Amino acid sequence: MSDKLSRRDFLKLAGVGAASTAVLTGCGPASRSVKREPYMQMPEYTYNGLSTYYATTCRECAAGCGLVVRTSQGRAIKTEGNANNPLNLGKTCARGQATLHGLYNPDRVTDPIKRTRGNASGDIVTWENATQIVADALKNNKPEEIAFLMGMAPDHLFDLVADLANSTGINAPVRFGALNMFESRATLSKAAENLFGEAGLPFFDVGGAQVVFSFGANFLETWLSPVSYTRGFAGLREGQTKKRGTFVQFESRMSSTAGKADEWMPLRPGTEALVALAIGRLASELRGGSMPRAFADVDPLEAASKSGIKLETLEHLAEMFANSTGALAIPGGTALGQSNGLAVAEAVLALNAIADNFGKPGGVFFSALAPNQTEYQRSASVKEMQEFVQQMADGKFKVLFVHGLNPIFELPASLDFKNALKNVEQVISFATFPDETALESDYVFPDHHGLESWGYQRVATGSAQPVLSGAQPVVSPFYNTRATADVLIAAAQLASGKFAEALPFQDEVEFLQSKISPLMSEADGFFSAADIDTFAAYFQQYGGWWKLSDGRAVPNSADVLNRSLSSAEAEFAGEGEFFFVPFVSPTLAEAGANKPWLQELPDPTTTVMWNTWVEINPVTAEELGLKDDDVVTITSEAGVLEVPVYRYPAIRPDTIAIPFGQGHTAYGRYATALDENGKIIKRGVNPTDLLGQHFNEAGDLAFAGMKVNIKKTGKKQLLSRLESIMGVYGVGLGEEK
Amino acid sequence: MIKPEEIKMSTDESGKWGMVIDQDICTGCQACVAACAMENNISFVGEADSGYGRSMHWIRIERFWEGEYPEVKMTPNQPMMCQQCGSATCEPVCPAFATIHSQAEQLNLQVYNRCIGTRYCANNCPYQVRSFNWRDYERPEPLPNQFNPDVTVRRRGVMEKCTFCIQRIHKAQDKAKSEGREVLDGEFTTACAQACPASAITFGRVDDPESLVSQLAHRGHGVKHLEELGTLPNVTYFKGG
Repeated sequence: MSDKLSRRDFLKLAGVGAASTAVLTGCGPASRSVKREPYMQMPEYTYNGLSTYYATTCRECAAGCGLVVRTSQGRAIKTEGNANNPLNLGKTCARGQATLHGLYNPDRVTDPIKRTRGNASGDIVTWENATQIVADALKNNKPEEIAFLMGMAPDHLFDLVADLANSTGINAPVRFGALNMFESRATLSKAAENLFGEAGLPFFDVGGAQVVFSFGANFLETWLSPVSYTRGFAGLREGQTKKRGTFVQFESRMSSTAGKADEWMPLRPGTEALVALAIGRLASELRGGSMPRAFADVDPLEAASKSGIKLETLEHLAEMFANSTGALAIPGGTALGQSNGLAVAEAVLALNAIADNFGKPGGVFFSALAPNQTEYQRSASVKEMQEFVQQMADGKFKVLFVHGLNPIFELPASLDFKNALKNVEQVISFATFPDETALESDYVFPDHHGLESWGYQRVATGSAQPVLSGAQPVVSPFYNTRATADVLIAAAQLASGKFAEALPFQDEVEFLQSKISPLMSEADGFFSAADIDTFAAYFQQYGGWWKLSDGRAVPNSADVLNRSLSSAEAEFAGEGEFFFVPFVSPTLAEAGANKPWLQELPDPTTTVMWNTWVEINPVTAEELGLKDDDVVTITSEAGVLEVPVYRYPAIRPDTIAIPFGQGHTAYGRYATALDENGKIIKRGVNPTDLLGQHFNEAGDLAFAGMKVNIKKTGKKQLLSRLESIMGVYGVGLGEEK
Repeated sequence: MIKPEEIKMSTDESGKWGMVIDQDICTGCQACVAACAMENNISFVGEADSGYGRSMHWIRIERFWEGEYPEVKMTPNQPMMCQQCGSATCEPVCPAFATIHSQAEQLNLQVYNRCIGTRYCANNCPYQVRSFNWRDYERPEPLPNQFNPDVTVRRRGVMEKCTFCIQRIHKAQDKAKSEGREVLDGEFTTACAQACPASAITFGRVDDPESLVSQLAHRGHGVKHLEELGTLPNVTYFKGG
């Protein structure tokens, strides 16, 4: 810069600075160590009144959407989607938006604490002590007595623990998440293995299709990768094929996904496989040629009578499917969470063989594996979690580390995780929030919030390209928290010997660089660099690394139609009168209940806020003498719940539904409620309390396979809802029904 | 006395910002509602007050039911926010001139420090999109760290509503001016449009025939809500289906 600089020139240059802040910077808090200090001396990358933007990865679910976070003077102000990231192309869901209410949540765990289990208060320990406790836990127990239970995000920490386990012989980390349970991921992968000879997570190209039949897949809400699938849905409706695509949803309760369907087929729960095969048979007849073995044994008339869908309707659907050049069938959600879930998944996947859409635009693929992944890894099914909990109950584990999930809340109560925990001598939680599991732990060594963290997340599905989304701190840690990876690395050093050899890193950043450095030599990357520092800087700046080519694999569909498929109906557990459908709240999902703005988002279908309801068909409600807000007792073979009624016009009269997401007894002030004496009580209920231990053949929980009874209690509990109830069912008009 | 035909309505489209919303692809996911709340420092009110209808959503997704089971249908999700009327019914009823029309942006402004809380404007809005601060809603520390410094934090007794993210409009205009050019179409957008995973919301200059929002608005099958009231709304809806 020249010595003589007029004020005008200076302002011009400042203007250039302002313009360049719009470019994502890879410096700032992304420097190696992050310290929190007041801006007595403003860092050079910060200007008063100008924002700095950082690319990172959303951690509200495990999909791995890229974010760009606007920060101002060291505070995170707003999250936006990262337009570069091929998964979400600049878009976010409501939970991604509200992640800031997690970062600045008033109820975070602020310091490492030691507590008596179940006691909300605890004693603060230093991080030096905390690290020593972790080191002792690793060193003083036999490898087979050490267990890690981890959530679906972040992947880098899972890799670190997996590496530690591999080289020291401790148990391999087990991953679980309630969303995965409701998605039935194990069933999808098993069905793919049975039909295509290869396990993997299917990818459904909704955007390129012309007719989409979805059997229970709530892909516009929480299923697999909702932001990406929503983009696909928009493509189906208006863009890619230049013709408005048709969408049919088969499920007993109209979800907000089904609300967008052109036709909603409220079939009898358990008959999904039968209906899919019947449509397959009718469509094959229309197409001509010999009848494929897969559909040969099914009787459409029987399917019609059992499912409650008229034969004419089935014929009309089959015609729609057979005559389209871009038909696609998707199995998912409640349809798979039944005793015959695997058969349903196979039957629905087989429909795609009629359309012959495998590996074609608008068809079925195997999801692209992420760049640093060699084979598909799925989370534990509930069956596998049942075995894990049994090992805990049997006292096989002396120490349990928990990170990234809240098993007491997320697992069905019938597994009794809480009780099994009593037989584990030492429980160390790395929870960021004071959740139910952290409350039942001996130690809580809080990890940073996702926006304060390093890391990466593998994009499991939703993008054609292989994507590794990168995370970097967008703000300095707000509290006295520490990255779990750093704690484990430091503890491994303290534990010395094979532990120190397993994690020979100075810190988390060095570990991350060791994991991403193999990508430097890979061809076809979004960017490349010759040295790791430059590569890592780009990785931060762009929010990850991805290939430019399509990484999806084409399923081998040669034998799909040549095997015989089961059309057996599902069996339901319990003696109840009603089919019970638990579904994931589209706005709260499994971990959103502590974010106040997520609580205040109206449910897309009922507009209820801040609480749980049970959806009952108005006709059924009238028969039972129930009105809105009447509290009912719902009894299954596994449990009892009390919950207020919402008369829902779009549900089968023999089915009731409850959203999952509320029912916390801990997890902060917004996730819980206060009674009149100021005591913390549950906000809403958790429908998994009603679920017994019944599984489908792939080991996924038959969560939609219960029958329940309803009883009126005579109590009332007013639900807050956005919609006015004036005029609905005659309320307020003097003609109330 | 002025004859009715002499009353001038602000039909002049110069500087007019507008929106097009495609209800056929809106999935009702609430991402726009959350994005709006985060961008505009909107209070959450809690369970009891939201039950009284006091929640402060500047944008909401309406859905209605048609028919009865099994022939029941959910109507296309309808995001509803201030329609930035060219002839707004909220404006003439304000005794404090707190809700006025801006010449520069052709938007309906809310001047918080003029507002005395009569709520006449909300009463007179046919779209029911104005929300009133019935209390000073608590946002315990450290939640205020998230506040957007570009947007005023409102207190009790003040009316508020969607501003079409006027702070973003001004920021883009300032930047364009400093670079000696016009604001480009698509250079920035509102918080709701930016978040929308289906890209159902398009925002831009409706007075520029080349802009995406103009092109969409003139496709022909768009409707404007309650147009018959003469409000000249600035949001066009595609019913779709």
